[in-house]
Amino acid sequence: MNLVRAELERLSARRFVQLMVVLLVLAFAVTAATTLVGSHKPTVSELNSAREQAADARRSMEVTHQQCLAYQDDSLPSGTNETFPSDCSAIDPIRQDRLPIAADYLSGVFNFADQARPLLYFLIAFLVLFGFLVGASYIGADLNSGGVVNLLLWRPRRMTVLAAKLGTLLGTVLVLALLASAAYLATFWMIGQTAGLPGRLDGDFWRSLGAVHGRGLVLVLLASAVGFAIATLGRHTSAALGALAAYAVVWELGGRLVLEIIDARRPDRLMLSSHIGAWLSGGARFFDPRLCAGSSGTDYCEGFYSLTWPTALAVLLLLTGGLTAAAFAVFRRRDLI
Amino acid sequence: MSAVIEIEGLRKTFHSMRSGRRVAVDGFDLLVEAGQIHGFLGPNGSGKTTTLRALLGLVRADSGRMTVLGEPSPELLPRVAGQVGAIVESPQFFGNFSGYRTLRLLARAGGVPVSRVDEVLDLVGLSDRGDERVKGYSLGMKQRLAVASALLKDPRLLILDEPANGLDPAGIREMRDLMRSLSASGVTVLVSSHILGEIQLICDHVTIISRGRRVASGRVDEVLAGHDRHEFLVRVAEPERAVELLHAADLTAVVDGEALVVGGVDDPTVISRVLGEQGLWVGELTPLRPDLESVFLELTGAYEHPSVPRQVDDSSLPHGEAVIDLDRGVDA
Repeated sequence: MNLVRAELERLSARRFVQLMVVLLVLAFAVTAATTLVGSHKPTVSELNSAREQAADARRSMEVTHQQCLAYQDDSLPSGTNETFPSDCSAIDPIRQDRLPIAADYLSGVFNFADQARPLLYFLIAFLVLFGFLVGASYIGADLNSGGVVNLLLWRPRRMTVLAAKLGTLLGTVLVLALLASAAYLATFWMIGQTAGLPGRLDGDFWRSLGAVHGRGLVLVLLASAVGFAIATLGRHTSAALGALAAYAVVWELGGRLVLEIIDARRPDRLMLSSHIGAWLSGGARFFDPRLCAGSSGTDYCEGFYSLTWPTALAVLLLLTGGLTAAAFAVFRRRDLI
Repeated sequence: MSAVIEIEGLRKTFHSMRSGRRVAVDGFDLLVEAGQIHGFLGPNGSGKTTTLRALLGLVRADSGRMTVLGEPSPELLPRVAGQVGAIVESPQFFGNFSGYRTLRLLARAGGVPVSRVDEVLDLVGLSDRGDERVKGYSLGMKQRLAVASALLKDPRLLILDEPANGLDPAGIREMRDLMRSLSASGVTVLVSSHILGEIQLICDHVTIISRGRRVASGRVDEVLAGHDRHEFLVRVAEPERAVELLHAADLTAVVDGEALVVGGVDDPTVISRVLGEQGLWVGELTPLRPDLESVFLELTGAYEHPSVPRQVDDSSLPHGEAVIDLDRGVDA
């Protein structure tokens, strides 16, 4: 416990951590301020107009669907120039994910229910970067400057010292992420209430947003642990940054290109970015025309395949666990000079 | 007296993809007993710091046996770590922390009462500067802080690697007094240093290492006595005639400037008698005792060719030993 307290003090005093927190607050403030400036509480007439436009849009969709059905029955009056899909259920309003609502026709009005999810994605992206960089610099700078040696002279238990550092890092990042996301969402909820529209905030909305939030926090912790592990293996902060850049360039760009050239099936499932996306959004679908290569013309082939969140989580946990275990194993035997 | 530090047959080789392998410590032995102020000497790259790092579990030894306060190191070092204060080379502290905060953090990590921080800051003369940031400290102040960190645990054994680095003459003297007072209170001190005069003044025992091997060890006065050539500086009116007379009496004598250096003399009255009987009256008769510096340079071969720049690996081995073929490589 003493060690964790000491590590907590060191971590919170790091200039880089302070700088990243300032950047987080700054990005948060800029986003909130621009949203606030660009939004206004809609007037009654604006709302009425938007409601009418939404109702018109829904009516139009229903009319088009009915015309499609009539077209299929050959009961549509001749002279109609419209084209319809072969399967009318595709444009059936009842089958749509969402129907036009008044908020869609209000310009310059912030709608919290609509915007909360993309806003949360932005925050998670920042926190993932924050966790990775802070994790890498925390141990990298300490290994490089002799801080770890200093500590080991006091507590000559390598595994305990490294575990205390990792635990302190993950705990701090988690608390910071929770506080930041709570403040972030509360601020935008408040903007929606006072200078925009709160939107439809029912149980489904909060459950969905909570799920994204929870998955995002897990991703932030995994990124922190990966940054920490790579910097421990490479002894420097730059090792983690270099590994990240090398992975992005060599595999995500170069590897993807090579897989396309050799006509590999389902190349996206081999990319870490796909698994991150699948985990964060609860699943992801990728298009691969090669999947339809063997199908006959009469069979319907969609050409999509899915990555489920359990698979994505397993891949991310395996990667993080492997790197962390390797970092501990190497640190246990390494000469600290 | 009980052994506080025991090292037997310590061997450590560094491997590097670029530079190959280099034997840093090669079968080194060290014995430090309770209550000693033990000097640990050796040229640059001779293996001093590697030995201390291995002893403290910072590098893994290839072979050898080490104990600290009776416990095998590094396996059971944690058992006695609370009684061992150590600095190895110049420790790096967090620049944005004050000296006080640095020590408070270490005290917390090691389970030492925070009240001890003020005591050690006072001991090393930093009590007035403890609130300043470490990055503003001079090299000497950082060194004092390092020593303070080693003292924080109120240790039974203090291991100091180059504690006088960057200290001004007054600071060196304070460090000397501090070590003496610690020793008087029962603390065993192992100190490595390049300032040989200081070691001679402070230490009662010494171990000299060269190219990873022990070349001398024991009480300082005994080590010096072992290299005493029984030489005397003699001033007389006619040096050349005096040399002839001394040679005739089976003594070695050479002219050195305006004086003579006479060797192989157990009893100096022989010199004044031989010369006095022939009417040459001795104006000065001074024994030439070896100091630690001359013994160190002789043992490590560090001053054989003053006109040629000496390389780090040019140190010598004990007399009669074959020179091992060391690959040049990683700096230990």
